[in-house]
Amino acid sequence: MLPKFSHVRPSSLRQAVQQLASSGSHVHAGGTDLLGCLRDGVFGAEKIVSITGIGELRGINSREDGAVRIGALTTLSEVATSPLIAQNYALLAQAAAAAASPQLRNQGTIGGNLCQRPRCWYFRGDFQCLRKGGDTCFAINGENEFHCVFGGSRCYIVHPSDTAPALVALDARAHIRGPLGMRVVPLGSFFVLPALDLARENVLRSGEIITHISLPPLAPGSISSYRKVRARGSWDFALAGLALALKLTGRRVDWSRVVLSGVAPIPWRSSETEKVLLGRDLNPRTLREAADAATRGAEPLSQNGYKVELVRGIVEESLRAIMESHPETPSERT
Amino acid sequence: MKQTEISSERNSSTDAQNLEPWTNPTVVGKPLPRVDGYERVSGSAIYPADLILPDMLHAAILRCPHPHAIVKNLNTEAARKSPGVRAIVSSADPEGKLVIPYPWWVPEGPPVLLFDQHCRYQGEEVAALAADTPYQAYDALRLMKVEYEELSHLLHAQDALKPGQPLLHNTGNLVRRPDTYQRGDLAKGFGEADVLVEETYETSCEIHATVETHVAVARWEGEQLTVWVPTQAIYEEQKSLAATLRLPVSSVRVISQYVGGSFGCKAELSKHTLIAALLARKTRRPVKLALSREESFLCAGNRPPNVMCLKAGAKKDGSLTALEFTNLGAVGAYADWADAAGWAAGSYACPNIRTQDTEVYINAGKARAFRGPGAAQSAWALEQMIDMLADKIGMDPVEFRLKNVPATHPRTGEPYTSIELRECLLKGAEAFGWTKARVARASSSDPVKRGVGVASCRWITEGGPPTTVIVTLFPDGSATLNMAAADQGTGTKTIMAMVVAEELGIPLQKIHVEHADTGTTQYGKSGGGSHSVMVYAPAVRAAAADVKRQLLEIAAGELKRPAIELSLKDGKIVPVREPGQPKNLSELKDLTRREQIAGIGHPPPEPKGRLIASFGAQFAEVEVNVHTGEIRVIRLLACHDSGRVMNPLTHESQIFGGMVMGIGFALTEQRVLDDHQTGRMVNANWHDYKIPTAKDVPFDQLCLTIDPKDAECNSAGAKGVGEIGTVPTAPAIANAVYHATGIRVTQAPISPMQMLALLAARREAR
Repeated sequence: MLPKFSHVRPSSLRQAVQQLASSGSHVHAGGTDLLGCLRDGVFGAEKIVSITGIGELRGINSREDGAVRIGALTTLSEVATSPLIAQNYALLAQAAAAAASPQLRNQGTIGGNLCQRPRCWYFRGDFQCLRKGGDTCFAINGENEFHCVFGGSRCYIVHPSDTAPALVALDARAHIRGPLGMRVVPLGSFFVLPALDLARENVLRSGEIITHISLPPLAPGSISSYRKVRARGSWDFALAGLALALKLTGRRVDWSRVVLSGVAPIPWRSSETEKVLLGRDLNPRTLREAADAATRGAEPLSQNGYKVELVRGIVEESLRAIMESHPETPSERT
Repeated sequence: MKQTEISSERNSSTDAQNLEPWTNPTVVGKPLPRVDGYERVSGSAIYPADLILPDMLHAAILRCPHPHAIVKNLNTEAARKSPGVRAIVSSADPEGKLVIPYPWWVPEGPPVLLFDQHCRYQGEEVAALAADTPYQAYDALRLMKVEYEELSHLLHAQDALKPGQPLLHNTGNLVRRPDTYQRGDLAKGFGEADVLVEETYETSCEIHATVETHVAVARWEGEQLTVWVPTQAIYEEQKSLAATLRLPVSSVRVISQYVGGSFGCKAELSKHTLIAALLARKTRRPVKLALSREESFLCAGNRPPNVMCLKAGAKKDGSLTALEFTNLGAVGAYADWADAAGWAAGSYACPNIRTQDTEVYINAGKARAFRGPGAAQSAWALEQMIDMLADKIGMDPVEFRLKNVPATHPRTGEPYTSIELRECLLKGAEAFGWTKARVARASSSDPVKRGVGVASCRWITEGGPPTTVIVTLFPDGSATLNMAAADQGTGTKTIMAMVVAEELGIPLQKIHVEHADTGTTQYGKSGGGSHSVMVYAPAVRAAAADVKRQLLEIAAGELKRPAIELSLKDGKIVPVREPGQPKNLSELKDLTRREQIAGIGHPPPEPKGRLIASFGAQFAEVEVNVHTGEIRVIRLLACHDSGRVMNPLTHESQIFGGMVMGIGFALTEQRVLDDHQTGRMVNANWHDYKIPTAKDVPFDQLCLTIDPKDAECNSAGAKGVGEIGTVPTAPAIANAVYHATGIRVTQAPISPMQMLALLAARREAR
């Protein structure tokens, strides 16, 4: 049922990177996505390199510069329940808690959550689709209820992660180790659109792995939230989600990050919405304009037009909740 | 299981005993935990999938990946040489032409060949093999080379009878002559109506999604075949296997002691069971064949999709004047039932009715009985239609239903042995706080809208013979209950042990249940149609009463008193006049000499000229977020008349389980086929096919009951409860969604995707 592969479990990062250098190698962390992909024949494997024995990849700690480091092997449950994360990055704790199911969160890792393969049912199923080297994207004329409304071209997957949009909104950075050494990539540049590369969803090159994520401190007084809408209450990916981070004075927006999940092949940052919000008071008109901006440019397929409505709905709803919990901006006296 | 509205056979049994239902039972009716609860929860219960026999092989099935194709060529050479492979069966073997019999409730259909070169659904069996390990078996399957000629496929019932569509069978795409029922004068009824409503409703194909997939273990000893298979119907499977393999019935033994969920999809002989038997015969070794989750989504049954067109009329006072209900259902690739309309004719007192059920073939996995088959789809349409009528005349939906509760069965005029539908509606509405909840609405600016809805239901159940049960009592006061009934999770074992305990006055712990094994039990009806309690409780009671009669006769002889002056209490003989002088059973020399007393019981025939049915009403409260389309069921309340509640715990499990299924039917579950391209199912897995999770089920669930004290239905006073609990849930939720939003969602499931699209359409229309 599974392909024939060798299995190694190195105890150091250096060994792991060496092992990953050979072609046909795949990283095993939580395994929740890997095993499903192998069993369903989404891709094959000649070697599985388990990084579960590398202790330095685990855990959450704060650094002297105020940043927080999350090891790639840290489980989603640990991220969701960490007081350090909850106090400083509520958005990330909420996103981690909204992912998958309790069992999967206990097993799945933050690194794996960022690197998981798309859930498109043609990609996962027994269809020789474009992303698997075939010549058709079945979603274009097929069952595309769950596919993207932004950023699609030739292939219309959505990025399945809940933590990815949260990390993009928090200006997090991925620390990557590979055959050529370390590099650091902002999460905002980590993911790859199909127009750029059909075969992969992120910038990781062969043999590279994420070692940890670093989060810069949020400006004092910032607020953040993650809102996820799904077809059932648990164990479901986002139909659409909104990762939101704001810095307010009264109700005036001094800074914002607006990143959507479930609507594009990558976490979809809406700079247009951020522009609308910047320097404006949160009021019904701003909310409406923000929602308009967030949906502008959407290109729904035959069955997923509801996602445009949904994005509008969650942007308005999330901003309204923030508006209502903040006092009106004190009028400036001259 | 397919249920006929009207019982055609009412066998009489000569040795039936005329026992009246208990008046003050001490065990029956108590909330006792399951007799096999520990085994089920601890994992020590041995399900067929757990079974490991010496030298056992593992089989796997090669399935057609296309919805419609011809197998032009099959090359199994490489697979045969693959490590561990011991045997292969395919259409090249004479066995490949074996024909699987239809179950008794599907009277006819095109022949189902074991390996048909004309594959009519994705997942149809093409070949199978047995290997030393399951992995070797699946690896070897990949080495089989098949050349398919793909044919154009038919996926929608609406297209099936149009010219130019692919024909699934020589006989065409129509399963059977459309079934029409009519009473009164429809035109006259519509003419008398003050209001008319017309609407088309659709349900989605729902998969049983049992936690345990289908599995069979087969073993031959000479010409004797033993099969372990989770099934509701051991004798049905035995008969079908014997017929297919041309064996004497007595040469086939079917054992089904634990079943991990069935809901109707494990009640007939499946191809995989036959394949396991064939491979075991070929290899002379035991063979296990367990279907994968994906396989069970594709070809282990489903609730068929229906398209239902309704027109109904009512007077301003709320009385129904006319109902026209036309249903088109797709059974899948082989014969089964996809009816819905006929059910509606028996629901309410409406003088003028016409119903028509048309069933067609499509290129998809075949339907099977599914908890309230037909009735659940019918209720989705009818109960929303009733809501629309009530809305149109400005009458409360509960009141409207009360107005139309039938006094007798509307189709035959036969009275029910008991009918508490009115009480179910009234008591349920009161406990739910219906009137208040109906008025209270959220402020118009709040995007989260609240609403409440109601639906009612009815389910006809037939008990009666033939069934034979044996109860054996030992001198130490312990007893064995021997019966054919399987327990597919419903609690049948527990309830029947309670009947023995009630009748013999011995503790539950001293009763062993030997069941669901054609080799050790006598013929008994299968567990389906919600009738287990109605068939088996009277039979078990009769058997226990037979034991008791014999025991008291023995005691009478020894104690030199008339048997009538003796009673059986707490496992002791108690003289009625001297209750202080009980006698242990072990003190009865004649009993010790006999070693045991065996009593035989049969269910008495059903009452003549009466129908037995369960009734209920369910109430739902929902929240709909009109910005996101999210629907949350806030609370559910059920009020049911299922006759006597044998055990409140298992009864609640049935109702709550039914309601959870109803939530799935209403909100999340749907087979998705790749419509315009490959025709394949795209969501044949746990994640994409969404059954409700704990978070989709409200904490606030309540199950109330009304005991009609039905002395006529049977000697237990109990009616069926297995299926009815799921029938009204989905329409109650749909009605609540309408109450919350003003949007009538006619197509199941009401996903956030659909809700958002409907909300947007309304906004644009305004």
